[in-house]
Amino acid sequence: MSLFGTNTGFGTGGTGVFGSTTTDSHNPMKDVEVSSPPDDSISCLAFSPPTLPGNFLIGGSWANDVRCWEVQDNGQTVPKAQQMHTGPVLDACWSDDGSKVFTASCDKTAKMWDLNSNQAMQIAQLCYDRQLGQNTEGTLFWDTRSPNPMMSLQMPERCYCADVVYPMAVVATAERGLIVYHLENQPSEFRRIDSPLKHQHRCVAIFKDKQNKPTGFALGSIEGRVAIHYINPPNPAKDNFTFKCHRSNGTNTSTPQDIYAVNAISFHPVHGTLATVGSDGRFSFWDKDARTKLKTSEQLDQPITACCFNHNGNIFAYASSYDWSKVQI
Amino acid sequence: MPVCQFFLQGRCKFGDDCWNEHSREGGRGGGGGGYNSNNRGPPPQQNRGGGGFGNKVWVNPSQQRGGYVQPSSFGSRNNDQWSRRDGGGGGSDWGRGGGGGGGGSFGRRENIKSSEFGFSQNRFSALDTPSTFDKGRRAATTTRGDEDNSRICETIQSDMEVWESSGQWGFSTYSHAKNPLSGFSDLSPEELRLEYYTSRASGNLQNYINGINQLLSQWRSRVRELKVMNASTRAALITELNSTVSQESSTGFGSTDTGSAFGSKSFGASDQLSTFSFPGAPATGFGSPSVLPSTGFGSASSAPPTSGFAGAPTAPPPPGFGGAPTAPPPTGFGATSPPTASSFSFAASDKTSNAAPSGFGSASGFSFSAGTGGGFGTGFGATATTTSTFGSTSAFGQPSTSVPAPAVPASGATDSLFSTESSLTSEELNQFKAKRFTLGQIPLKPPPANLLVV
Repeated sequence: MSLFGTNTGFGTGGTGVFGSTTTDSHNPMKDVEVSSPPDDSISCLAFSPPTLPGNFLIGGSWANDVRCWEVQDNGQTVPKAQQMHTGPVLDACWSDDGSKVFTASCDKTAKMWDLNSNQAMQIAQLCYDRQLGQNTEGTLFWDTRSPNPMMSLQMPERCYCADVVYPMAVVATAERGLIVYHLENQPSEFRRIDSPLKHQHRCVAIFKDKQNKPTGFALGSIEGRVAIHYINPPNPAKDNFTFKCHRSNGTNTSTPQDIYAVNAISFHPVHGTLATVGSDGRFSFWDKDARTKLKTSEQLDQPITACCFNHNGNIFAYASSYDWSKVQI
Repeated sequence: MPVCQFFLQGRCKFGDDCWNEHSREGGRGGGGGGYNSNNRGPPPQQNRGGGGFGNKVWVNPSQQRGGYVQPSSFGSRNNDQWSRRDGGGGGSDWGRGGGGGGGGSFGRRENIKSSEFGFSQNRFSALDTPSTFDKGRRAATTTRGDEDNSRICETIQSDMEVWESSGQWGFSTYSHAKNPLSGFSDLSPEELRLEYYTSRASGNLQNYINGINQLLSQWRSRVRELKVMNASTRAALITELNSTVSQESSTGFGSTDTGSAFGSKSFGASDQLSTFSFPGAPATGFGSPSVLPSTGFGSASSAPPTSGFAGAPTAPPPPGFGGAPTAPPPTGFGATSPPTASSFSFAASDKTSNAAPSGFGSASGFSFSAGTGGGFGTGFGATATTTSTFGSTSAFGQPSTSVPAPAVPASGATDSLFSTESSLTSEELNQFKAKRFTLGQIPLKPPPANLLVV
């Protein structure tokens, strides 16, 4: 179920893109498929940081496991290892040195997986968790050397998504809450922001400015819309904006369009462009500074649930699996 | 864009259609210099300023690049009336809406100097620019002009139409401006999915399905109600929009206009109650405020029923469902079995003009987080037979930050909000005393006041 895309020359249209003429549209982009994908929906993907030679991809899934693949330069993937939780894994991330992977799951635990020794140690007992170190009611900050949370900050609502780029962290909660944290020294709440979106928050990703400092974030909602928000813009009215995406018919306003949730947002580490993936089974690349859309993929037959760029932006991975968006019974 | 030299001299003959930048200072005569942009007929889609504005400052040049941002379309406008329709589905510029509502505080006719007037492609820009008078106006006034209200209602209506027809995720909170509208519960797909997995594991899939059905029907009815926007909905909405400046105070609570049996208004008035989420059930006197958050607490407004949503089965309840002690308990509802309850949940909608509260019912459906206090009666709802006694419902869910809810039954409503210990059976009493409710045994009656602990 997980698919891999290799896009060299970001933004110029990746290689290996063909229009799909077959009826099987599970991989219309003809991207490289990862071998041994997990058995259930994939909740998160993360590539290894640049400190690790080579590219390793981890993916957490609703089948309670986290898998690690090595991605070789020719695009082929080799499954390397797997760890199990007792509940669905919601999020995973790498440590800065690339030796450890932290995973968080619905079984209320977060584990630190040491890849060298292939041991996983439970480091946290949390309540329902959406991303590492965060639980619903409060954000917990962990120093991995100690078994207790370093600090805990209350949040007003359930945490739906979060992103961390030192020294900033953004958490988007239920009921359209948005909190920005400052992580230097003691993590502290920096600001609560009024949501620029009208509907439920789905995903958030921090972007950096030209000096490589986190300067704002992109927030996606279930309503096919992404808001770009700067933390301290010179001109908020002009700099912050929202755009619509993942909708079925572009500008045709006569027929009602289908609106899909934006499941994940990921920024290219070098170019600063962003990728969004949605429940419509497409991924799109956008340039937020030029405020234009760069490319949209063909439609896959399943929603795309997670995406991620590798550390130098040469590889874009996206996962196609059911995201529970069709609840009508 | 280069600045137009003629405009600076006050004599640009292109006026609004000039390709160069016309700054807002000076050059006011330029607009009349030959081209009156008001006469242009339907303004072109791409924001060349909309009729009547001499300045183009707020037209973000990048918008003209035809990017993916939907250009604000002005539809039909005349200078006097600021009535604006959404062009294409909910794309109205909120900033303008807010500005216009200022009761004409910025001279909506001639002088549109203010570029802060939020004419950017971000229709929420007015939300985060504190320096604009928009915000000042908003905070200051609690009443809005009628035009404003009708415009807001129109926006909400069109948003509802889009929401309904688009197939997007329904369990989402919705807000027009800063504060969310009542009647919508915020549930993420992951929460529901987890709920599904746990119920599947425990063999209770039917509960899950019932719960989802209830949530769906609540949502549908709320959306329909807002779409239709009859007089009472409109009034309730306006009250809610105006009075939600302080989110803590729950304005009204449940039924208001129908004068249900629970002094809801007074109840609601006490801000302590801000912490609960409830399915609202006005009209027939079931009381209960509709849920609502802004801060995750229910604030009520009269009509809408609401949200709530399923709690999780007792096994590690995702807090979303109220499992975690701190989560505001979603007021779950319930599903199921007892015949009265089921008849209640859907059938009730026939009885009430508003969509029924749906979901109440016996607990077997979902659990709740008893939350920190132990026993907050989430039971609500009730069966048709017990309507008269209903009222309470308060479940409060409460997060630790809240307020001593128990301490406050709002004046006058005390006896109907909480039951006395003597009126509860011993099982119910045990349930209230326990840290968490067990599925299938959640009491339908409200808790006794003395058991509520903050």
